[in-house]
Amino acid sequence: MKFDLDAVFVEHGCAGYPLATRILRALPREVPVTHVADPRESTRPASGARDPFGAGKRRMVIARRKSAFLAPCPAGSSEFACCGYLVLTLASNCPMDCSYCFLQEFLADNPAFQVYANFTDSFDELDRLIGNARGRSFRVGTGDLADSLAFDSLTAMSRELIEFFASRESLTLELKTKTGEIENLLAMDPRGRVLVSWTLSPDAVYRSSEHLTASPAARIAAARAVLDAGYRVAFHFDPLIAYPGAERDYILLIDELLDTIAPKEISFISMGGLRMTPRLRGAARSRFPGDPMLCGEDVLASDGRLRTFTPLRLNLYRTLADRFRKAGAEIPAYLCMEAASVHESVFGAPPSRPAIIGNRLARD
Amino acid sequence: MTADEIDTQIRMLAAERRLPPSHLARWLAMDPASRAAMLEIARVIRLRTGQLMTALETLEEIAVRERVTVAGVLDRPEIRRIAGGPGSAPSRASALLEALRTLRYPLLRKMQEQIRSEVAALKLPRGISIALPNELGSDELTVSLRVRSAAELTRLLEALDRSRPGLVRIIEMLAGKQ
Repeated sequence: MKFDLDAVFVEHGCAGYPLATRILRALPREVPVTHVADPRESTRPASGARDPFGAGKRRMVIARRKSAFLAPCPAGSSEFACCGYLVLTLASNCPMDCSYCFLQEFLADNPAFQVYANFTDSFDELDRLIGNARGRSFRVGTGDLADSLAFDSLTAMSRELIEFFASRESLTLELKTKTGEIENLLAMDPRGRVLVSWTLSPDAVYRSSEHLTASPAARIAAARAVLDAGYRVAFHFDPLIAYPGAERDYILLIDELLDTIAPKEISFISMGGLRMTPRLRGAARSRFPGDPMLCGEDVLASDGRLRTFTPLRLNLYRTLADRFRKAGAEIPAYLCMEAASVHESVFGAPPSRPAIIGNRLARD
Repeated sequence: MTADEIDTQIRMLAAERRLPPSHLARWLAMDPASRAAMLEIARVIRLRTGQLMTALETLEEIAVRERVTVAGVLDRPEIRRIAGGPGSAPSRASALLEALRTLRYPLLRKMQEQIRSEVAALKLPRGISIALPNELGSDELTVSLRVRSAAELTRLLEALDRSRPGLVRIIEMLAGKQ
């Protein structure tokens, strides 16, 4: 899968970084490249564009990141059970275009696809982290503000990341994606320290909402390929969308997954119901007015987000959890952005503390 | 009326009601039959600005969910009954919005009805009140007691204990277990 770009902007001083060199070398000749002193203007929404957010996705900005790369997952808060995930921000935005994507709100003011030329500076942060917490293991992912692999054929960032993580016993890298971009991965030896995870949705959601992504079948096939190449795999059923027929479709999807990948080969699964702030929902509905997946039976929850009304949402979680349980292997599972009481209601036990679950998901 | 005449009428009504431009644009973006049907019901029921906005939004979402047109939704018997039925314009406007909300949230409405009938079946004495989460937006059930004496407290706690199986069933329904 290759994504089109309309233009590339390079911050002064970044062209010499290996990442920028690789991108500029691999870029199609017709894509104009502009060198700029201040990249911020290039990241802003294009004035006059009919869909400024969509246009931003097709504009790449290669810049130097000035703030920290590593941070606790922003979804973690006292109101939700937390999985202990750490995020490494090496890029922001995504060339794919899922109708429900939170980036439509989060990056509304700077929608260009930014990639950080100095991303290997993050390795120092990671070494400091493990140096200060001996005996602990951490799961660190690059798929929060960007898809981890969408532009990997252009950036080849995965190669340097895998090389770094493969030599750190207490770190696990999670590459989260909706693509089948695994060529670079297949050429590397992850030494058990790299986990590739796919968001999985039924065909109905894929066709209606997940524009420019790989099909669910292609994602599962890619997972099989990386598993055979020595990677660990995990799957995120997030967002889980409660449309009519969803239960049946999700069960079929899980069956399709388990036909290809045995339960014991899956490191973990996560689930998270579709949740949108009213502002995000407004932006999403305006960009994708015909998508029925954005018009579920969602109500305003206590966290200010629109979520599928509780009994329906919890029933769907339980349906998926039961299906995995019946598959005969105890696959570690967690819920994303749900209260501990919901976790207990779905799995029959309260969630572990973030440090413990984080440790477990990093090591298993 | 021609399509142009209908659009002119829509613009006039929108101006009278001070309908936000975004909502007028959504109305005008509908197919011609839906534009006309919406105009007719807005006039017949004399929808106020807020009601008109809610109706437009809800109808649009029903149409997307069910892959039908707004005209198709407005032509359903339950909607036609309200539009052509007796009662004042304000009461018909409320009934219309309620009917649209039921179409927009069919499972939620059904679940709310089931849980409410479970609560009613408990026949709890005065002094015990059960509050369901707003729009079933959480799994939390609130049970309140209002007492003025120890004897009253004992009586209500005993009543509550007798209702335990029914309350457990309601809690399980809220958690999506039934």
